[in-house]
Amino acid sequence: MKRLLPLLVLLVALLLTACPSPSTEESATSREESTQTEQQSGAESSSEVKVIRLGAAVSETGKYAREGKDTRQGYETWRKWVNEEYGGIKVGNERYKVEIIYYDDEGDPDTAARLVEKLITEDKVDFLLGPYSSSLTKSTSAIAEKYNKIMIEGNGASESLFERGFKNLFAVLTPAGNYTQSGLKLLADQGAKTMVLAYEDTAFPTSVAEGAQRWAQEYGIEVLAVETYPKDVADVSGIMSKFKDLNPDIFVGGGHFNDALLFVRSAKEINFTPKAMLITVGPSNPEFVAEVGADAEYILGPTQWERTMSWKGPWFGTAEEYAQRYEKLWGEPPTYQAAESTATALALHVAIENAGSLETDAVRQALLDLDIMTFYGPINFDETGKNIAKPMGTIQIQDGKIVVVAPEEAAVAEIRYPMPPWNER
Amino acid sequence: MNIWQRMASWRGLIGWLILVTLLALYPYTGLSGSQLFTLSQVFVLVTLASNWNLIGGMTGYVDFGHAVFFGIGAYTMGILVTPVEMAFSPHLTFWQALPFAGITAALFALVIGLPTLRLKGPYFSIAMLGTFVAMREIIRIAAPITGGGKGLDLPPVLDRISDYYFTLALMGFVVAFIWWIRRSEFGATLIAIREDEVGAEMRGINTTQHKIIAFVTAAFFTGLVGGFWAWQNTYIDPDVVFIESRTVEMVMMSMLGGLGTVWGPPLGAVVLYFMRDILWANLLDYHLISLGVLLIVLVLFMPEGILGTLGDRSSTSLLHLWRRERHPSPSNQDSGGNT
Repeated sequence: MKRLLPLLVLLVALLLTACPSPSTEESATSREESTQTEQQSGAESSSEVKVIRLGAAVSETGKYAREGKDTRQGYETWRKWVNEEYGGIKVGNERYKVEIIYYDDEGDPDTAARLVEKLITEDKVDFLLGPYSSSLTKSTSAIAEKYNKIMIEGNGASESLFERGFKNLFAVLTPAGNYTQSGLKLLADQGAKTMVLAYEDTAFPTSVAEGAQRWAQEYGIEVLAVETYPKDVADVSGIMSKFKDLNPDIFVGGGHFNDALLFVRSAKEINFTPKAMLITVGPSNPEFVAEVGADAEYILGPTQWERTMSWKGPWFGTAEEYAQRYEKLWGEPPTYQAAESTATALALHVAIENAGSLETDAVRQALLDLDIMTFYGPINFDETGKNIAKPMGTIQIQDGKIVVVAPEEAAVAEIRYPMPPWNER
Repeated sequence: MNIWQRMASWRGLIGWLILVTLLALYPYTGLSGSQLFTLSQVFVLVTLASNWNLIGGMTGYVDFGHAVFFGIGAYTMGILVTPVEMAFSPHLTFWQALPFAGITAALFALVIGLPTLRLKGPYFSIAMLGTFVAMREIIRIAAPITGGGKGLDLPPVLDRISDYYFTLALMGFVVAFIWWIRRSEFGATLIAIREDEVGAEMRGINTTQHKIIAFVTAAFFTGLVGGFWAWQNTYIDPDVVFIESRTVEMVMMSMLGGLGTVWGPPLGAVVLYFMRDILWANLLDYHLISLGVLLIVLVLFMPEGILGTLGDRSSTSLLHLWRRERHPSPSNQDSGGNT
C-alpha cells in the first residue's frame, strides 16, 4: 500500500490543479474588481448597467513591478474618468460602464500567457489591454490573435511586434526605431557630423540602436563606432575610453536607467566630452537628475511623452491638465508609461464609440480609421497597428529641469549645444 | 521478492497509466482553453522535474544549470522554424524540428558532460550554473543565427488541445521511463554511484559511462520540452528562455517531492505549482516571500521531501549529496539493493 500512497496523492493533486485554481484566482481578483466598480458606479449598478469588460495581465511583482504599477494606474485613470465623469462609453444610444480585470503576470512569460488565455476564455473580456514590455507583448499578442480579440497596448515598442502580420494588435506609442529621430535631426541642424553608439544587447535597445543608425545616415551623420554591452552591465569605462579617442560630436547610448547613470559618471571620470550626449532611457525620468545631480545638465534623451508638451485633445485636455488629474488621483506625477497607458485605453474607447459596436471587426476597422489628437499626441494607426502619427519627443536637462527641445511642434525650449567640458561648469 | 511485493511494485506503473488515461479523457468534460493550457504547463513542469531527478536525484549530480538544455532545445526549434530570414533558417515544421531539439541538447550534454561529470558535489553544480549563464551570452552573441538580444519570432500558431495531448504524452512517457529505469539494473547502478561512487567503481562498474548516459538522456527530454515551449510561446529571446528561476524550479520541485524517488518530482512539481497559485490568490503582495519562507521551512524540516518523509527509501537530501564525499552514509547504501 505504501507504494500506492504517493501515486494517490499525485492523482488528487493533479486533478486539483485543474479545477479549483481558476476559481480561486478569479474570485480573488475579480471580486475585488467588481466591488471597486460597484462602489464607483453607485448603488444602483450591476444588474441594469451595461458593462464593457476589459482585461489586462500586467506585472505587479517581478522585474517589471515598477513600470507595471504605472501601467495600471494609467489604465485606472482612464477608467475612473470614463465611469465617473464621462458617464460611460457611448455605443449607439446606450452607455456602457467599464470594468477592467487585472492579473499579475509576475514578468514571467508562462504566467502572462496563461493569464491572457484565461482573460479570453474564462473571464470572456471584450477587449485586451497590453502588458508591460515587448517580450511579454510578443507572446500574449499571439494568443489574442488566435482568439480574434483586439489587444491594444502602450508598452511594447519593439518594431518586430508589428512584422508578424497580426490583425488585432495596436500600439499608441512611437515604435523603438524612431526613438532618436527628432533628437538626431535637431543635432544635425546644429551642425553635428559624427556619432558613436553603445547599446544593451536586448530586444528594445537593439531596435532603438538600429533606428539611430538609420536616422544618422538620413541626416548625414557619420557613425564612427558601435558597441554593445550585456544586460545589467556594471562598468562601461572601456567603451567610453575607446569612444574618447574617436572624438565624436554625438554620443548615443542606453538600455536601462542604470546604464544612463554609468555613462554619465564614466564620461566625467575619463573626461570624455562629446558635443552632445543622447541617452535612450533615463534622462526623461525625474530620478535621473536626483541621482546624477549637476552632471545631468545638457544631457539629451528621447521621451514618449512629457507633461510640458503642447499636445491637447478633447478628452483629458492638455498634457499638463492630464498630469494634474493623475497627480490628484495617485499622489505622484505621471511617468510616460502611465500616460501612454491612459492613451491606449482612450484610443480603444474612441474607436468603440466610432464603431458604435462591440464587435471585433467593427472596432478593428474603427481603430484603423482612427485619426485623433489627444493629450498624449496624435494617434493614427497604419495597417500593421503602429501609431505612425506621433513623433518622439527629445528632452534636455536644463538647470535641473526636464524640458522638451524637439520636435518643433512640441518643443518648449531651445537646445543648449554644444555641451561644455566637465571641468568648465 | 515475493508475489505481493512484485505486484505492488507494478502498481506504480499501472496507477500512472490509469492517471494518464484519465487525464487524456479529461478534456472531454469541456475544459476551457485556459484550463487546458494550465494543465499542459503543469505537465511540462512534471516532465522537467522528472528529467532533472534522473541526473540530480538518482545519480546524485546536483545540476544547477539543467535549464541550459531547455534553452538549447528552444533555440534549436526557434532557428529551424522561424519564418524570419536569418543567416540559417530552413523553415521546417514543428514535427520536423522537434527531434533536433532533443538531439542537439543531448549532443551538447555529451560534450559538456565529459569534463563536468568528473567534478564532485558543489563543483559540478557550479560548473553547470556557469554553463547555463555562458550559453545565454553565446546565444546573444550569435545574433546572425539566433537573433541575439532581439530574439526570434516563431510562427504564431497556437492549438491548446494539441499542446495538451503533446505535453501529456511526453510526461506520461518520461515518468514511466524513469519508473522503469529505477527498477532496472541501470537505475540501481545510478543509485550506487550516488551513494558511493568510488565503491561502485571498485566493484567494476563503468561509472563514467553510466553518468553520461543518464545525463544525456535527461538532456534529450529536457531539450524536447524546450523545443515545445519555444513553439507555444511563439517568441524567444535569451532572457525569456534562459530564466534562472527555471533551473532553480527544477531543483525545488524535485527536492520538495523527494530527490531520487520516481513519484517525488512529479508530486513536487504539482504541489509547487498549486501552492504558488493559492498564495498568489490570497497573499498577492507577499506571495513571493511566503513561497520562499515555505520552501525554506520544507527544506529544513523535510530535507528528504514529501516522499522521503513518508518513508520512500530511494530519496535523499541535497545536503547529503554535497557532503557524501566526506561522510558516506552507510545507512543509505542498501537502497540500491534491488539488483
